Amino acid sequence: MQAVVQYVLSGLAIGGIYALVALGFHIMWSAARAVNFAHGDTLMLGAVLTIMGIDAGLPLSIAVAVSIAASCLFGVLLERFAVRPFAKTSASIGWMLTTIAVGIMLEALVTMRFGGFSRALPSPGVTHAISIFGAGVYPQELLIPVVAILIMVGFGWVRRRTLIGRAMQAVSFDRSAAALMGINVNAIFALSFGLAAALGGAAGILVAPVTQASATMGLILGLKGFAVAIIGGITSAPGVVIAGLGFGILEKFVEGYISTAAREIIGFSVTILVLLIFPQGLFGKREVFKV
Amino acid sequence: MSDNRKASIYLAAIIAAASISASASAQQEPCIGNSVALTGPAAFGGLAVKYGAEVAIDEINEKGGVLGKKLSLIQYDDAGAPPRGVDNVRRIALSDKCVAILGGYHSTVGLAQVDAVNEIGIPWIGTTGANTKIIENGKSPNYMFRVSMKDKWVAQYLADQALKISKSGKVAIMFENTGWGNGAIGDFKAGMGAKGKEASAAETFNWADQDMTAQVIRIRDSGADTVVLFALDREGNQILRSMDKLGYKPTIVSAWGLAGNLGELAGPLANGVRVIQTYSWMGDMSPKGKAIWEKIQKKYGLKDPSELKMGSATANSYDAVYILAKAIEKAGAYDWKKVRDALYTVELQGLVANYKPAFDASNPERQDAILPENYQMTAWSDGKLLPIAQTPYGKSQ
Amino acid sequence: MRDRSTYFGFALFAVFLALVPLTAANEYSLRLFMIFFIYAVIALGLNVLVGLAGLISLGQAGLFALGSYAGAILSTRAGFDLVTSSIVAILISSVFGALLAYPTVRVRGVYLAVITIAFGLIVENIAIELQSLTGGTTGISGIPKPSAFGISLLGMRYYWVLAFILFFVALVTHNLKRSKYGRAMLAVSQSETAAQSVGLNVTSIRTLAFVVSAGTAGLAGVLYAFLNSYISPDIFTFSDSVRFLLMVIFGGAGTTTGSLIGALILTYLPEYLQQLQYWQKFAYGLLLAVVMFVLPLGVFGTFAEVFRRFRPQARSADVTNVLPVEDAVRDQKSGAPGGAELAASGLTVRFGGLTALNNVALKVRPAEIHALIGPNGAGKSTFVNTVTGFYQPDSGHFDIDGAKLNGQAPHTIARKGFARTFQNTELFGELSVMENIMVGYQRRFTYNFLDAAIRSPRFNRQEDECKTVALSLLAFVHLADYAHERARFLPFGLQRRLEIARALAAAPRLLLLDEPAAGLTTQEIEDLDGMIRRIASLGISILLIEHHVDLIMSVADRVTVLDYGVVIASDVPPVIQDNPRVVEAYFGTPAITARVAS
Repeated sequence: MQAVVQYVLSGLAIGGIYALVALGFHIMWSAARAVNFAHGDTLMLGAVLTIMGIDAGLPLSIAVAVSIAASCLFGVLLERFAVRPFAKTSASIGWMLTTIAVGIMLEALVTMRFGGFSRALPSPGVTHAISIFGAGVYPQELLIPVVAILIMVGFGWVRRRTLIGRAMQAVSFDRSAAALMGINVNAIFALSFGLAAALGGAAGILVAPVTQASATMGLILGLKGFAVAIIGGITSAPGVVIAGLGFGILEKFVEGYISTAAREIIGFSVTILVLLIFPQGLFGKREVFKV
Repeated sequence: MSDNRKASIYLAAIIAAASISASASAQQEPCIGNSVALTGPAAFGGLAVKYGAEVAIDEINEKGGVLGKKLSLIQYDDAGAPPRGVDNVRRIALSDKCVAILGGYHSTVGLAQVDAVNEIGIPWIGTTGANTKIIENGKSPNYMFRVSMKDKWVAQYLADQALKISKSGKVAIMFENTGWGNGAIGDFKAGMGAKGKEASAAETFNWADQDMTAQVIRIRDSGADTVVLFALDREGNQILRSMDKLGYKPTIVSAWGLAGNLGELAGPLANGVRVIQTYSWMGDMSPKGKAIWEKIQKKYGLKDPSELKMGSATANSYDAVYILAKAIEKAGAYDWKKVRDALYTVELQGLVANYKPAFDASNPERQDAILPENYQMTAWSDGKLLPIAQTPYGKSQ
Repeated sequence: MRDRSTYFGFALFAVFLALVPLTAANEYSLRLFMIFFIYAVIALGLNVLVGLAGLISLGQAGLFALGSYAGAILSTRAGFDLVTSSIVAILISSVFGALLAYPTVRVRGVYLAVITIAFGLIVENIAIELQSLTGGTTGISGIPKPSAFGISLLGMRYYWVLAFILFFVALVTHNLKRSKYGRAMLAVSQSETAAQSVGLNVTSIRTLAFVVSAGTAGLAGVLYAFLNSYISPDIFTFSDSVRFLLMVIFGGAGTTTGSLIGALILTYLPEYLQQLQYWQKFAYGLLLAVVMFVLPLGVFGTFAEVFRRFRPQARSADVTNVLPVEDAVRDQKSGAPGGAELAASGLTVRFGGLTALNNVALKVRPAEIHALIGPNGAGKSTFVNTVTGFYQPDSGHFDIDGAKLNGQAPHTIARKGFARTFQNTELFGELSVMENIMVGYQRRFTYNFLDAAIRSPRFNRQEDECKTVALSLLAFVHLADYAHERARFLPFGLQRRLEIARALAAAPRLLLLDEPAAGLTTQEIEDLDGMIRRIASLGISILLIEHHVDLIMSVADRVTVLDYGVVIASDVPPVIQDNPRVVEAYFGTPAITARVAS
């Protein structure tokens, strides 16, 4: 019984990480219908730059601020140069390859500078474990899904209630029409990617004390985060959060009862199955194409 | 398109011809090849090997080299990936034509290299990777030698230590799912069996795993108060954290995978973790060791011996190079077969041990040069890995 | 003439393969060259998928792994030799390739790519997990030396085996490209809709592309296992899938030479970047970025493009002695004379709360020119898309010469002799005008894959027939001057004509023209008028959807009028012209019309 509780709690923790990553994808897709496939690397940037900042003697808060700003800038630049020229129509997928390319180069460069090994990012949230029904978990681990839900609610509110949010919706439905309405489409794109990247950086800082920071932490997180976004329905913020948490719990159970390699096998198989049965994701909206 | 085909075929031909260099030589070169993980999560292991080898080569070259030629080290990065290690063996032997290869940090790579090394017939001297079957591989003639630990003996040593420390008599083991870990579990079970005991639990995990609570729960529930680990620092840290989360504090007796940056990663959680080594550069050193340390310090810009992670590997590779150099001298030629035969005749007062002789042709176990009597126990204490006698945990020995 | 230089190219390739061993300095560099052969096989197969069918796969390492492990396991445990393990490996990977094709039915673009990534990771992790079978992370070592039929294939012999296999694969994939299969794949990737309308089964074509790429990857895997004597999951990572994709797109997607060059560069690049592994990774990222940003056609593709600029090929075709169009549009095999009759009745199509078609009945008599008109939003497009199979009716049925069509897929309907043009021209933009028409001929081919692979006499004969028909149709629509021009560079009015020619190439018995006059000048509309009459005189039934009342009144035998999804009139043109309901539908109330008329 205690093992079950442990799996659920650990699952919520890792699921929260996936949900955070998936929310980033949702934010980008909700404006541009394209994403930064190297989004996982924004988490890596947040974590790694913070550690490098601390190494250089900066106080933690400054290091955090700098690395989030750097991640945001990365997102904006990437959108401008690697995504926008390759996302001209809703059918293009060139942006996928360009962002993968940038991600690979970034990881290699960071490895050169930061080293190949993991480093710890200290945080008060991981110094003492708390016990819930006999299962042990760090407070920081439980904070992650909470933050994910807060962001989901927050972004949903922005989308529905603020002018900028509605502008984002307009842009995602029909770029030309939105532009004709006076919406600066390029600014919306930049905003969505910058916002997603900043959130990614913050997520990385939140997550690093639990998982350790390394130059390669972004790749698999990004991949799984995208899988989760697809499963939940990339157009639905609650969808991706639910999918993320569920996916995390599923992973932990498989890991606990079988093995970690089995976890990847089952995780990705589920992704494929869901995509085949619900091409728009579990909670996404169906899109009809006119011939 | 048709004319383009012509042009393109020419282009391709030129590229290919340019990339196949034309050179020919029959004798081996005075170089020692090294395939080691210079990048990746255990890169300090590879660096440690490189440091020891380079310092030894510098010293030997200062005295005039071997057979009148100066030695050089040709380094390749295999990032801990076995296929790369195998490719590097072929590259070093057939393209660079080195006289010998030094093995690296990862046992899995060493295991993969066995076939290629013996097929080509180039002497391979391991410096770290301790899996038993790398050396006791059943091949004859066997070109795989090693100046390092052997997991069969390591496992026995760790089992003995763990049983001594354990109050409840229950000892569990966690091992990584790689060639190293999977080889070690067999050795460990044999070692426990020799003492008439069994492991109370045996759990495995994969590289890059972050949460081992599932395995730790099972180990804790088996009643073990001492846990033997065959893990690397990155995973070791996550294991310690998983244990911390569950409020489970066993004594940990580990193979040398935790001799890198565990102290930095796990902080206070690492205190008391015991790690087996062949050599320690911390605390009081012998004059010989001190002299070599000074050279390492100067050459690589290190400030404190605690910055030399996985120091055993440095000592091992230092000795390995000297043994090899002596063998080449005795062989009288840079010839693979002659050098191999000569290796069995080498005696050396090395850093880690006094090798009398280094290898024994009559005993397949003795393709390993370092014996259990040379093994030392160290322990993490406040971020430093010290000989256990110099820590608060030394009294429980 | 094209064939002769292809022969020359391949002959040169063969000479190259024969000379290389003489220049190799040592066993290691020869071995490296053999690895290039193996990667080239993968690249050539992947080129069919990426370059022709336009599908991105980032999971090729998984198929490579399947072949490798199959070969390794069979040879180490069951003593299979090179030939038998190759056959099994190709079969296994081909099956998985076919499975991977299935998602293309449901998902597009990015999602498909993600499925391939997931697939690659699943295979890698299965290799790690099933330790007892695959050796787990330690891998499988001691794979026996390759042998076939009892003959050992050590050293140079294996070199010749690999060289021969590479040559063969290059030849087959190249022939595939220049056959109906290659054209079909290109067509499907450029316009799925138009491809369906000429009778191409999009799913089977994509499946074929996947199977070819998977089979070659599987074969390469076996060859690799025997060459290396050792495999482990580390050889089949996502990074390797990226590398294989790079080989194709960096070399030049869609070209055989490009794949070879890409494979060569990406085999030797890691050698030069051996220093530190992250330089290799950086290089892959950089090369991918270079392709995407600077060289979208790849190295060879750009080279070929530049070459073409300097040595432009003649744009026009010689149509002085062409087949008369009457013979071109008659299918020699079926020989069914005359146009078909299309009968629709009770057709109802709803979109949510909107009823686009309400109990529509329409009949096109054999060899009749039947016009369907109506104001915007009347349901004309819906009708067109329904009878061509793109929409499914909620009730009602329609058939052609009595054969039931509702519920059938667009390509099946097309194969029953029903061709169409599109309101928004759907051309295969990157193909030449001539090639567009040749794709239209697709359903009249009967040769098979084997014929295409070896260019059998049957293949050559049918391809020649196809070209003859295409030339004839080119002349018919007066596009001979643009024969080798890329379709998307054609002026708009001419694009329309090309669509008609393409539709006629299928030897249809019923031709549906969807607003063919839209956007045409008065002169062009006159030409269109003549063309429609000529087509009808060939015995083909025509269903004409149009807005231009003049054209309709001039050319149509019967007219049906739709308004708000309902048929409000169906008769000969003069009657329709004066029908008050029709006038009201178009112009408003009769009162206004009366005022306008007076």
